[in-house]
Amino acid sequence: MERSWEDLIQAMRQGSVRALSQMITAVENRETGWHEGMKAVYPFSGSACVIGITGSPGAGKSTLTSVIARRMAEQGLSLGIIAVDPSSPFSGGALLGDRLRMQEISTLPGIFIRSMATRGSLGGLCQAARDVTRILDASGKDVILIETVGVGQDEIDVVRASDFVMLVLFPGSGDGIQVIKAGTMEIADLFVVNKADRDGADEMASEIAAMLSLCAFEDRPVPQVVRTSALNRIGIDELMSVLTGIVRERKKRRLPGSDEVREEILELVEREISRLVRQDLAKNGRLQQSVDLILAKKSDPYTAAARLLPLFVRSSGACSGQEGRP
Amino acid sequence: MIEREGAAGKRGNRIEEAHAEWREKILEPRIKRFNLKESPTRFHLPPGQGEESFLQKVGFPGQYPFTAGNQPFDYWQAYAPDAARLGYRPDWGGSGKVGKYGGFGTPEDYRDYLFRMQSMGRMGGPNIAFDLPTQCGYDSDSPYAAGEVGRVGVAIDSFRDFETVYEAYTGGLDIDKVPSNFTINAPAAVIIAMYAVLAKKRGIPLEKLGGTPQNDILKEFIARGTYIFPPRPSMRLFRDTCVFCTRRMKSLNINSIGGYHMREAGASRVQDLAFSLANGIAYVEAGLEGGLEVDQFAPRFTFNAFGGSMEIYREIALQRAARRMWAEIMKERFRAKDKRSMMIRQPITAHIGCISTTLARPLNNLVRAVIGGMAAGMSGGIPGAFPPFDEPLGLGHSQEAVQLQLDATRIMIYEAKVADVCDPWAGSYFMEFLTDEIEEEAASELKKIETMGGAVAAIENGYMQRAIAKSAYERQKAIEAREDFVVGVNCFTGDNEIEVTVNRVVEDTYDAKLLTTAEDRQKKKIQELKRQRSSRAVSRSLSVLKTQAGLEGENLMPAICDCVEHDATVQEICDALRDVFGEAQPVKI
Amino acid sequence: MDQQGKIRVLIAKPGLDGHERGARVVAFGLRDEGFEVIYTGLRQTPEQIVNAAIQEDVRVVGLSILSGAHLSLTQKVIEGLRRNRADDVLVLVGGVIPDADRTALKDMGVAEVFTSGVRIGDIAALIRLHADAVPVQVQP
Repeated sequence: MERSWEDLIQAMRQGSVRALSQMITAVENRETGWHEGMKAVYPFSGSACVIGITGSPGAGKSTLTSVIARRMAEQGLSLGIIAVDPSSPFSGGALLGDRLRMQEISTLPGIFIRSMATRGSLGGLCQAARDVTRILDASGKDVILIETVGVGQDEIDVVRASDFVMLVLFPGSGDGIQVIKAGTMEIADLFVVNKADRDGADEMASEIAAMLSLCAFEDRPVPQVVRTSALNRIGIDELMSVLTGIVRERKKRRLPGSDEVREEILELVEREISRLVRQDLAKNGRLQQSVDLILAKKSDPYTAAARLLPLFVRSSGACSGQEGRP
Repeated sequence: MIEREGAAGKRGNRIEEAHAEWREKILEPRIKRFNLKESPTRFHLPPGQGEESFLQKVGFPGQYPFTAGNQPFDYWQAYAPDAARLGYRPDWGGSGKVGKYGGFGTPEDYRDYLFRMQSMGRMGGPNIAFDLPTQCGYDSDSPYAAGEVGRVGVAIDSFRDFETVYEAYTGGLDIDKVPSNFTINAPAAVIIAMYAVLAKKRGIPLEKLGGTPQNDILKEFIARGTYIFPPRPSMRLFRDTCVFCTRRMKSLNINSIGGYHMREAGASRVQDLAFSLANGIAYVEAGLEGGLEVDQFAPRFTFNAFGGSMEIYREIALQRAARRMWAEIMKERFRAKDKRSMMIRQPITAHIGCISTTLARPLNNLVRAVIGGMAAGMSGGIPGAFPPFDEPLGLGHSQEAVQLQLDATRIMIYEAKVADVCDPWAGSYFMEFLTDEIEEEAASELKKIETMGGAVAAIENGYMQRAIAKSAYERQKAIEAREDFVVGVNCFTGDNEIEVTVNRVVEDTYDAKLLTTAEDRQKKKIQELKRQRSSRAVSRSLSVLKTQAGLEGENLMPAICDCVEHDATVQEICDALRDVFGEAQPVKI
Repeated sequence: MDQQGKIRVLIAKPGLDGHERGARVVAFGLRDEGFEVIYTGLRQTPEQIVNAAIQEDVRVVGLSILSGAHLSLTQKVIEGLRRNRADDVLVLVGGVIPDADRTALKDMGVAEVFTSGVRIGDIAALIRLHADAVPVQVQP
């Protein structure tokens, strides 16, 4: 890499959109030395409020995100929006279509929109989103919205990079409470019943409220339920007042909790180990040998794993199984 | 009786037995011999129908369920010999007929062009193409209009512009004598209002106005993209035009429901049929919601060509299935009694669609168009060769291409006598089979849409848009993988083939120099208009429109007519409605 | 499959033309060729397209135009990219483009013009060639 990260970060902090977007590309692609780039970014980050917006396809997330972004921009806040779509498991490519509904706001001053593909889980989507968030944060954005389809682990990962998670639902989608996946419900700090002009919105909202009243929220407030219609501009004021409150609080809080920091370090270490292991096994051909043996019914995955593990782990621990060894 | 049934049953069994034997002894060995997975041809058994079934499912031309055709013969067939003797050219029109589709530049440019054409004997009523800003509800001075003013059609910003075009239509071509066609959808209500206001100014009773506004907003969401308002308020506008036309403009068709554009956008044959029917149903429901009886307005619905592939047999079957399905829907579901409510009225029927034409060796497109014309002639339509062979060149149709297109149609009519037999494939094993097959598949697709809540819901949730995008991509993949073959494109492209060049003189129609200045001239006219008109009257009429737009039950046509009459611009009217209705959102594919 | 360093492509429809078939087919096709395709949909102003290209840091901008307004719209997009010092972005145009205008578009800086009958594989090959030949230039 010819340029220095410092130059790029400086340009980005001075408002160069191109520097910002190139910085994101370099880190997202895990270009050589990306760690150095993130190290240089880190001290500038930590002040933006990160809001995750998730929900099933067709819930109107993009439209709602647009409305929220426009309102916040009107309040004088600068925004970064990350719109996540899945990569194709077959080609590795992706069709990123969330800009479609956000193009109108994309030229407002202070708004930066970036589409992001999940790129398999190998790169660690949560970390990648966290990195991009940090870059946007360091570039001076007040608020960062991460929009993602709430249908898989990737999406749950993404919202872990957020300070606050908004789950968008809509009536008449067969999207009743019973089908909201375990895990999605727990991560939400705010429930938005969108398309509230449709039949069943009130029932849905009360159903959620009833269910929430049964849950225990020890260390955080009970999530609110808001009804909106992004298209008919219903309930937007109420939603905005909740979000504005969040942004204000976040400005006071600033520092992440120790659990979060610990998790991030562990994740970075795990990813790096995983990357090295994969790289190494692919290179020396031992992995393929094991695969061939298993396919020929001469071994099994457990034995193979147990054989390969000592190549990487020296101290005997819980994972270094001895069983099955000759 | 019992004996006959028994015989029929026995015959059915014998045919099936024979069929099994044929498969085993003849077909399978042959497939094997050529090392194929399946047979490249299909052979169909008698569908096991008796006489009853034939009467029920096919019937006679001009009778329910209209499978065999809307009429025993069409009006053009009655005059065909005369037309040949007189040398009538349909593209030149004639009094009482629709003229050639067109429009460019400013209204003045287009009017002068029309005068020039008329001086060359090319008559016929207005058949107006509007530019994209007009179609999307923007005036020529909007930033969205930059570069597009007067390009794909004529720019109409206000009633004055509309009136200017119509300066070419007076006397023998006055609006009570020739019909007008408007290719306009999202702002159709505004253009219909202009037509009504023009009649008022000319002292012509509204019921004397003929013609067809396209007024098919649903397929804009699905395929053509010139929408303005979200689907539901768009349907409210349709309802209002439907009621207004039915009550006041009794000779005007209400809409032209198009499968054509969906097909061009990639829809499969079955999607074309199912989506068109779903849209048609939504329009009927809108009329009923407006308080009309079905037979008051459904006879004034028209359709815009189901069709768009080279597969001649299936395209014929599609026409037959479409007629039968629509007739049944109208009769059984909507309890229509007037048979005109049950008929699919369309100016052209089967055709290959522009999508089937190729840029490679373009003269081949003439052959392709003829095959589409054969399909039309054999399924109850004019055997018209469409489109002209130079369509994919993107330069406008040349005189030569139009001449050959016309001649091809004439050869099919007069020499080959393609249309001399009504529904010639009726009763044929395979055609009845294909017709049933398409009907069945379309019915199941239609059911899917109905389960979602009908066409509007299936547009709101993006189902129809995604379905045709997927079909378009499947088609592309099939061509690239050489599963489907297109001559000169993915096969027979080697060194042994030669490019066939053709002489081509583009008709000296639209002056390119005029086009470069159209935007500026049109902008100046808007400024002038805004200086001259009573701004008080404009804002008053717009505010009435806005208030009424907020009242779901109100018919907006009188208010729109009022705005038009006070010289409010197309965009001002649309903006007033945008304020109340919001704007349509694109769907993520 | 290389998960890193994906080539990002923007597919946009400038102007009011609503014929989306070609743009969508190319978007699907390039996704299946392994690119990350950002699809902006209909009615994009040149300003919006340039803005999206910069924010998304794409290597390629594909414009689909069937309305005849290709010359002026493409010109504006290319000027916008230059103004943002993003002239290393490959600009491709698809649609109904008469032969005569093909040259004019290429003179403007369009890398290639694709009309009816093109194979998606050919578009992909051209993009890969460009991505290999032109290294990313960072201009902070």
